[in-house]
Amino acid sequence: MAEIACERYKDMAATGIADPVLQRALINLQHRFGRGTAEAYRNLPEGPELRFQAKAIRQHAIDHLDLLLERLADKIEARGGHVFFAEDAEAAVTYCQKVADRRGVKRIVKGKSMVTEEIGLNPALMADGIEVTETDLGEYIVQLAGDHPSHIIAPAIHKTRKEIGRLFADKLGIPYTEDPPTLTRAARKALREKFMAADMGITGCNLACAQTGHITTLSNEGNIRMAATLPKTHIAVMGMERVAARLSDHAILFRLLAMGAAAQQMAGYVSYIGGPAGPDSLDGPEEFHLVILDNGRSRILADPEFREMLQCIRCAACLNVCPVYGEIGGHAYGYPYSGPVGAVVTPLLVGVNRAKDLCQGETLCGACRDACPVAIDIPRMLLALRAKLAVGDDRWNVAPAGPAERAVYRIWSRLIGNRRAYDLCLRAAGAGGRLLAGKDGMLGRLPGPLSGWTRSRNLPSPAAKSFMQRWKEMEGEGGSNHD
Amino acid sequence: MTDPRRTSFLKRVRSALGNPLRDESAISAAFADPRPAATAALAKRMRERPPEERAALLVRLSEAAEPLNIQLVQVPDETAAVEAIARIVANSLPEWGGEKRAAAWDHPLISALNLQDALADLGVPVFVTRPAPDVDRGRVRRAVADAFVGVTSAEWCVAATATLAARNPPGAPRSVSLVPSIHVAVIRAEQVVADFQELYALLNAEMDEEGRGLTDAMTFITGPSKTADIEATLVHGAHGPRELHLIVIHG
Repeated sequence: MAEIACERYKDMAATGIADPVLQRALINLQHRFGRGTAEAYRNLPEGPELRFQAKAIRQHAIDHLDLLLERLADKIEARGGHVFFAEDAEAAVTYCQKVADRRGVKRIVKGKSMVTEEIGLNPALMADGIEVTETDLGEYIVQLAGDHPSHIIAPAIHKTRKEIGRLFADKLGIPYTEDPPTLTRAARKALREKFMAADMGITGCNLACAQTGHITTLSNEGNIRMAATLPKTHIAVMGMERVAARLSDHAILFRLLAMGAAAQQMAGYVSYIGGPAGPDSLDGPEEFHLVILDNGRSRILADPEFREMLQCIRCAACLNVCPVYGEIGGHAYGYPYSGPVGAVVTPLLVGVNRAKDLCQGETLCGACRDACPVAIDIPRMLLALRAKLAVGDDRWNVAPAGPAERAVYRIWSRLIGNRRAYDLCLRAAGAGGRLLAGKDGMLGRLPGPLSGWTRSRNLPSPAAKSFMQRWKEMEGEGGSNHD
Repeated sequence: MTDPRRTSFLKRVRSALGNPLRDESAISAAFADPRPAATAALAKRMRERPPEERAALLVRLSEAAEPLNIQLVQVPDETAAVEAIARIVANSLPEWGGEKRAAAWDHPLISALNLQDALADLGVPVFVTRPAPDVDRGRVRRAVADAFVGVTSAEWCVAATATLAARNPPGAPRSVSLVPSIHVAVIRAEQVVADFQELYALLNAEMDEEGRGLTDAMTFITGPSKTADIEATLVHGAHGPRELHLIVIHG
């Protein structure tokens, strides 16, 4: 399993907000990709309606997942590939270790894959004495720096060209430069040697095709093609939901995936891989393994409230528009899946109580839903998670909120149900507020248990007269602006 | 050969779905074309495409190719295509030093160009990826890695996105369009289709009508290799080819 640091959400968020480099990078990222994706949807020849067609395709696949996985596995096995159904992270990791051991693997090149981050594959293979090299440029930078990816598509977005220049000077022995083309060339040269020397390639899978029995990988750099073509053994790891029923489903999904991920019309490379190289083929791997991973997904599938989340194709469009991700960055989420998608998926995978801050930290503004290429209603599921946190839930082993919090909300619900009591409290709060307010009429610090509310923001002092009071007075004055 | 892991895995999935009925009709419904009428209309449109519409597709292709940094060359015939390739080979230097070498697919369109003879004048040897029963894969790999130019064709080219699509049968290995620094693809104008819906309709039609399924590999290529991983700055030539030249033969 990946390291889980969701409990540190608040601290890490504060660190992110205080980091001026990260702040600039996030503004740049959201400005470019967030707006670019919206623009791409607007210009779709089929109209924005296409996103809902894509959603129906994904829902169809999820509803027939058992049949799809069976067909996919049969077809790949018929071409001589191996398919391993992994119940959890440990089973998947152990299987990969065994294959590497049997094949005498010493050097592995990897294509960027969130699911291998989720199962913690790299550290396990490295502990076996195998050299594991991430080959996506962003992942390579992050790996060289001993850091974690902070964005699903742009893993090194939190690093400046200066930092990368110093890192490459230090680790690759090149003269210091902060010129992105020169830095890219240095990585290209270093990684080309790794590709040629590797005896195993490990990749993820963007979206398999059950009908024909292929996995697919998408990239712009070509590194995933290298990892799936040059080494003698290729292992692909996929979350069990990443499959489409029919080949033609890809026509819509790949275009929307490219738009969501990078505001592109199409990814640079799409590779269909259906097994090891055929007997007459001149290149391609001798052995092909597909690992299909559950690791908590069947539990999400079984719950109608959250099943929609399995439609996700991991494009990261929601990160590029999220006002919360845009402030705190990816590391705060404490798990490979960050942003709005992470705020729903991570609690469901690692435990709702453990990752409660993630779903409580989002704003419910709905930007993620509008940016999603398959129109997933993330705010609905964030609310569902919060409801479980409030009252508890046996199915997801959620402990309910503490007695103090529940008492507060019970009082609150009584209060707002009773007009007179509410008005009374409002007047009291208004009087108290004016006492505590600063010169600008803002409350900088609330007393006692309410201080949490004002720890990181000021609260406007309640108005001297409530809206209802003023309304009545205006009517009494015979003010007739509204007739 | 029932794999107990697979059985219990799929059982868990089925139970999560509420154990739906899985008879023959449910299975065929899962993979059926959801909009057969639209697919048939698409096939008809492609078959009956008039010449002026074909010409418009080429305009659309060149508009899509430009921002992707694809060097599009339209030529009247094979001779002009060979000249275009010779110019690319003559005007570029091997990225990793050493001698100029090229690799090319064993493919009807490419073989007809006689590149071995044409590039011999420039002193550039061409390795052709010809399948043979006793082929030495290690030799193929070295030859492709030593080539600074890789020449391939494609089965289709999608005008809307300037995407090349090709299945990879034995004579058409995927590494030729990947490992050399410069990728040159040669196609005929008739191979250009409008958009992805058309491309997938063709792939489906070939599977259904000719029983010609997908093999172990199929590749779509849209532009040269690129990355934006350093401060979101676009750089070409991350791991794959730095340049992509697309030569379209008319007539």
